[in-house]
Amino acid sequence: MSFELLHAAADSNRWAAILPEVSLGCLALLLLVLEMVLPRAAHRAIPVVAIAGQTVLLALLLASFCCASGACGIGAYLGTETFNGLLLHTRDGQFMRVFFLLTSLLVSVLGVVSLGRRQLPRVEFFSIVLVIGGALMLLAQSNHFVMLFVALETVTVGFYILVSYFRTSALSLEAGLKYLITGALSSGLLLFGIVLLYGVSGNPLLIGSTDNGMHFGELRGFLAANPDNFLASLGIVLVLSGVCFKIGAFPFQIWVPDVYQGAPTPVTAYLAVGSKAAGFAILLILVHTAFAPYAGLVIPVLTVLAALTLVFGNLAALTQHNVKRLIGLSGVSHAGFLLLGVVASLHSTAAIGAVQFYLGGYLLASFAVFGVMTLLARADGADADAIQELDDYAGLAKTQPFLALVLVIGLGSLAGIPPLVGFMGKLFIFISAFQAELYGLLAVAVLGVVVSIYYYFGWVRAALFGEPDGASKTASADRAAAPVAAKAAALVAAEPASQPAPSWSIEFEEDTPLQNKGGSAAGVCVCTPVKWALGLLAAAVVFFGFYQGALGDWLLSR
Amino acid sequence: MITVPLNTLVLLSTALFAIGFLGVLLRKNTLIIYMSLEIMLVAAILGLVAFSRFNGTMEGNVFVFFILTVAAAEVAVGLAIIVALFRKRTTIEVDELNALKH
Repeated sequence: MSFELLHAAADSNRWAAILPEVSLGCLALLLLVLEMVLPRAAHRAIPVVAIAGQTVLLALLLASFCCASGACGIGAYLGTETFNGLLLHTRDGQFMRVFFLLTSLLVSVLGVVSLGRRQLPRVEFFSIVLVIGGALMLLAQSNHFVMLFVALETVTVGFYILVSYFRTSALSLEAGLKYLITGALSSGLLLFGIVLLYGVSGNPLLIGSTDNGMHFGELRGFLAANPDNFLASLGIVLVLSGVCFKIGAFPFQIWVPDVYQGAPTPVTAYLAVGSKAAGFAILLILVHTAFAPYAGLVIPVLTVLAALTLVFGNLAALTQHNVKRLIGLSGVSHAGFLLLGVVASLHSTAAIGAVQFYLGGYLLASFAVFGVMTLLARADGADADAIQELDDYAGLAKTQPFLALVLVIGLGSLAGIPPLVGFMGKLFIFISAFQAELYGLLAVAVLGVVVSIYYYFGWVRAALFGEPDGASKTASADRAAAPVAAKAAALVAAEPASQPAPSWSIEFEEDTPLQNKGGSAAGVCVCTPVKWALGLLAAAVVFFGFYQGALGDWLLSR
Repeated sequence: MITVPLNTLVLLSTALFAIGFLGVLLRKNTLIIYMSLEIMLVAAILGLVAFSRFNGTMEGNVFVFFILTVAAAEVAVGLAIIVALFRKRTTIEVDELNALKH
């Protein structure tokens, strides 16, 4: 490569275009510096810095949208490639950016609640959440397999740490190991697919061969010139299976229930929303740019996956009693609905907007539900976070009416009850599937909705009508907690009792006494600002259900 | 200099990948599974270098460095998790790591 070429490549580095991601990375580093510089008593302020920083960034990002037409802000880069083709800034990418920033902000808020009850190092949690957030935002704009792979691995390695973050809990560590093995397996499949595509597209003997085969646009040109290449088809299938691991589509969903159960609740939320949305962001980019000439292969594969995912996710969720497993498996069925949208988008691109709207609604409703779960999760015993049963929610309406309301709105939206935003999301996807004439898939999806209402309402029933069977609310909550506490005790007892405190353990922050040692679900809710945030989320779920307005127009018009 | 044809290299890479993949699916010891995962990455690296050499493009060689970095990060985190889990449960056999079932 000559000097001029290198110079031209360096000229396309527009750092201003990825300012939000760079700021997130710097914020993550700042947190680590603050931990070293600040006195121990001031460490409580560090998570606040993380949350405030992300809020400011989110506001700036939204503001830069408002002047998208002008030369100011990030809007100026729309439709251009930067960093020598590694990134392509599109409207979809901008939407996903805001989406991921909001996700990491909400995860940080939940993290404050969840970590506040435990004696674990805290600052690293927020630091890793921020780094993952930045990598997710880059992932949604990637236009090159190197960018895609590196961003995806940054996300995945970060998640390995976060999933096993409650390292005093054997369940959290086991979930981390399971995620590690399945995650690395999926990365291996993805990587080998990339290698095959790179190898075949660079073959000088084939028509349209390119020396930049990892660039999505160049790859598309090559694939269009070679419509029936076996190696290319194999590569595409391998890349798609790697991505399907991330979204939890049917044959690749084995890790979902275990990992979702063992991970700390805020991390479960991050996996359920961030990781899944990232998978769909890449999938949409890939099938609409690089793999577009192979639609004849991609459409049948995704159609079969969507149908199987819808059937499996809903049926498997029916029998669950642990709420984290339940929400994980119901997340699999949501992946099915979204895959239906992706298949529809291959027939008419308007469906991309429907998928994004669905993702947005899923974000709001999921965080409403996960927020309630985080607030109600007990912190007695290392494994308590992984053992949240449907029975724990019995009588929530009487003990915590506000949280019960938020939970019901969130679950109703996930189930797709009108007029909540989840209903509108499903409606938009079904309309675009209908226009794409996917009648068979549509029938499966409608059946899936019916089944999902059943298990979501099992949860709602427990919260609204379940009898706490006792007069005083503390007694009732203690009784509801009793079987769980017994189970936790059994699990703890099953471990070697003589475990000494690990000598390498990081010093704990003494200024945070372990709250709620009594373990009653009712006594936990002291976090008023978080409750307000949850109320806002629930209000947004209702609001966007009634009114799609400018946002809906913006998403659905193309 | 003996030139190895591209087909041989790609076949070797595919065979390595298959060994790694089957190892992950079939073996029961976490460390062996972890080794198999690394074999899959190495298979991909070999494929990249071979294609890069025979196609005359540099991209594959550059990508190898990214993969090596990522693999190193993954090993660091992964072994830490395995060690922490072993200290808790005193086993790394996947059959016995089944506390997360219903």
